[in-house]
Amino acid sequence: MSQTITIDPVTRLEGHGKITIQLNGQGEVEDAHFHVTQVRGFERFSEGRPYYEMPSLMARICGICPVSHLIASAKACEAIMSVRIPHTAAQLRRMLNLAQMVQSHALSFFHLSSPDLLLGMESDPKARNIFGVLAARPDLGRAGIGLRRFGQHIIELLANKRIHPGWVVPGGVTEPLSAAHRDEILAMLPEAYANLGLALTAYKQIAGTFKQEIEVFANFPSNYMGLINEDESIEFTDGAARLIDPQGAIIEDGITASKYTEVIGEAVEPYSYTKFAYYKPLGYPQGSYRVGPLARLNIVKSMGTPLAEKELVEFKQLAAGPVQSSFHYHHARLIEALYGIEKIEQILADPRILDKHVRAIAGVNRLEGAGQAEAPRGTLMHHYKVDENGLITWANLVIATGQNNNAMNKGVLQSAKAYVKDGKFTEGALNRVEAVIRTFDPCLSCSSHAFGQMPLVLTLVSADGEVVDQLVR
Amino acid sequence: MNQPKARCLILACGNTLRSDDGVGPWLAEWAENRFRSEPDVRVVSRQQWTPELAEEIARTHSVLFIDCSVESAPGSVSLIPVHPAAATQGLATHHLGAPELLALSRELYDSRPLNAQLLTIGAGSTELGEEFSDSVTAALPEACRLIEEIVLQWLG
Repeated sequence: MSQTITIDPVTRLEGHGKITIQLNGQGEVEDAHFHVTQVRGFERFSEGRPYYEMPSLMARICGICPVSHLIASAKACEAIMSVRIPHTAAQLRRMLNLAQMVQSHALSFFHLSSPDLLLGMESDPKARNIFGVLAARPDLGRAGIGLRRFGQHIIELLANKRIHPGWVVPGGVTEPLSAAHRDEILAMLPEAYANLGLALTAYKQIAGTFKQEIEVFANFPSNYMGLINEDESIEFTDGAARLIDPQGAIIEDGITASKYTEVIGEAVEPYSYTKFAYYKPLGYPQGSYRVGPLARLNIVKSMGTPLAEKELVEFKQLAAGPVQSSFHYHHARLIEALYGIEKIEQILADPRILDKHVRAIAGVNRLEGAGQAEAPRGTLMHHYKVDENGLITWANLVIATGQNNNAMNKGVLQSAKAYVKDGKFTEGALNRVEAVIRTFDPCLSCSSHAFGQMPLVLTLVSADGEVVDQLVR
Repeated sequence: MNQPKARCLILACGNTLRSDDGVGPWLAEWAENRFRSEPDVRVVSRQQWTPELAEEIARTHSVLFIDCSVESAPGSVSLIPVHPAAATQGLATHHLGAPELLALSRELYDSRPLNAQLLTIGAGSTELGEEFSDSVTAALPEACRLIEEIVLQWLG
C-alpha cells in the first residue's frame, strides 16, 4: 500500500504552501511536491489601470520585496515611454534595491534559517525559533536586527517609507538624495560591515557540520540564470540576463527584458498556483533553471567590490563548476549582502549622487514594455501592454519563486528520499524537508501574486490515496 | 543603537484598510500631533510589530503599546501592564505581541523599561474598509484621554 506524507503548512517561509510526499507499497518515497496553495491575481486586476499606476500597484504584491517590483515595474513603464532615466536616478534606484536585498537576506538568514543552522535540524522544535537563536547567540541576534535596520532605514531615508514606498516612478524617482541623508547612510556602514562579518564567520564555522544536508538539499546539476554586467560582474538593477548550463557554459547571454518572452516559457502543474518557468529552446522541464543568490554567484566572474570579491573566490572553490547544492544559498546570500553594503558605499561616493535631476518625463510612445531586476530571491520580470491611452490591457509577471519551482520540487523529493525511511518520518526529517525550501527563500506571496506567513502541514498518503498520517504546525 | 534614549515610546500597530484594526495607527497619529513639541516622546506606528522593534524599546524608559483587540467588547478601552513573555511555539517573524517584544528586547539588549503598558480598544469590525465602527468611534476620546494621562505621568 502506498502512502502520502503532507507537510502543511511549510513554516518559516513567505506565504502559504504545503508539501506532500508519496510513498509506494514498500514505504519508499516515490514522488514529492511542493504546493503553493494561495492565489492572488494581480495581473488580472491591473487591467484597465493607467500604466503609471503600475509600480505602486505591483509593489503591493509583497511586503518583503516591494522595491524589486517597483523597479521592474517602473522599467517596464519606461519601455512604454521610451525614456532613459537620469544617471543619478539610476544610481539611487540601485542603492534602494541593494538596501532591500540586504534587509531581505538578513531576514532569511537570521530569522528564518538560523534556527536550523545554529540550533540544529533535530533541536527542540519549541525552541527552534528566533528566541532560541537569541538565547544561544545574542550577538548574532543583534547583528541580524542591525542588518535589517540598516537596509530598512536606507529605504526609509531614500523613499520616506520602509514598505511600499512611492518614490520610484516611471522616469526615475520623485526626490533627490539630500546631503544629510547621504551622511546618515555613510555613518551606518561601519556597523553593517561588522554585523555582516560576524554572520559570515559564524556561518563558515558551522557549515561543515551540515555535510549530509549539503549532499541532499537540492544538490543536482541544473541551469542557472541572473542579471550580469557587461564586465561579467554581478548586477541587481540593470544589465541583462545570462543563462548557464550545469557545467557553467553560457547557454544564452544578453537576455534583455524585451527578449525574455522569446526565451522564457511558463508551464503549469495541477498541484500548484505558481507557474514553472523554463528556457523555451530546451523545453519543459529540461529547460528549468535556478535563480537567486546561488545562481547569481554561479553566473558571474566577479563581484566588483573588494571584500565580496574575496568571498566569491572562496565560494567558487566549493565546486569545480557551478556550485550545485541549494544549501549553499545561505552562504551566497551573505556574500551578496556584503556586496550590497560595499556597493552602497561606492554609490554614495559618486560625485553626481546629490544631483537634483532625477526624473525624465514622457508619455505613451510604445504599446508594450518589459522591465527586469534582481529581487533578493532571483530575477523578476514585468511585462505590460497598454492601449493608446496608456491603460493596461495585459500584464504578465515572471517571479523568482516560479523560476525556482522545478528545483524546489526536485529538492523536496531528493531530501524526502534521504530522510523518510520505511514510510516513517521524524520531526527532524520533516524539518529538513522544509529547510530545503527555506534555502531558496521563496516568496509565495509574490509567486502566486498572497499575503501571509507560511505555516506547514506534512501528510503521509497511502498508495490508494488514504491519508495515513499528518503533522500540522 | 547610537540614539539617545527617549523617555516615552508609543508603539502602535494596525491595518488602516481593515476598519477598526486601524485604530492603533489613528491614535499614533493623534499622539504624534499632541506631543509634537515634546522631544522625549517618540511615536512609531507599524502594520505589524516585528522583531526589529526590540531595538526601539531598548532606547526608551517607558513604552505604551496600542492595538485593537478582537477579544474585548467593541469600543471597550483597556489599559493594562505588560510583562515580558517569550513565545515558544509558532513564533512569527512578521509579527509579535507586546509581551514577546519586551522579552526580545530584554534578551538582546538587556532592556528593562521602567513602565510598559498596553492600551487596547475592542474592535467592532475588522472587515475591509477605512472607517471605524460606531463603537470604536465613540471610544476615541477616552482612548486619547488615557494616552495623554499616562504619557504626561511618565514624563513627570
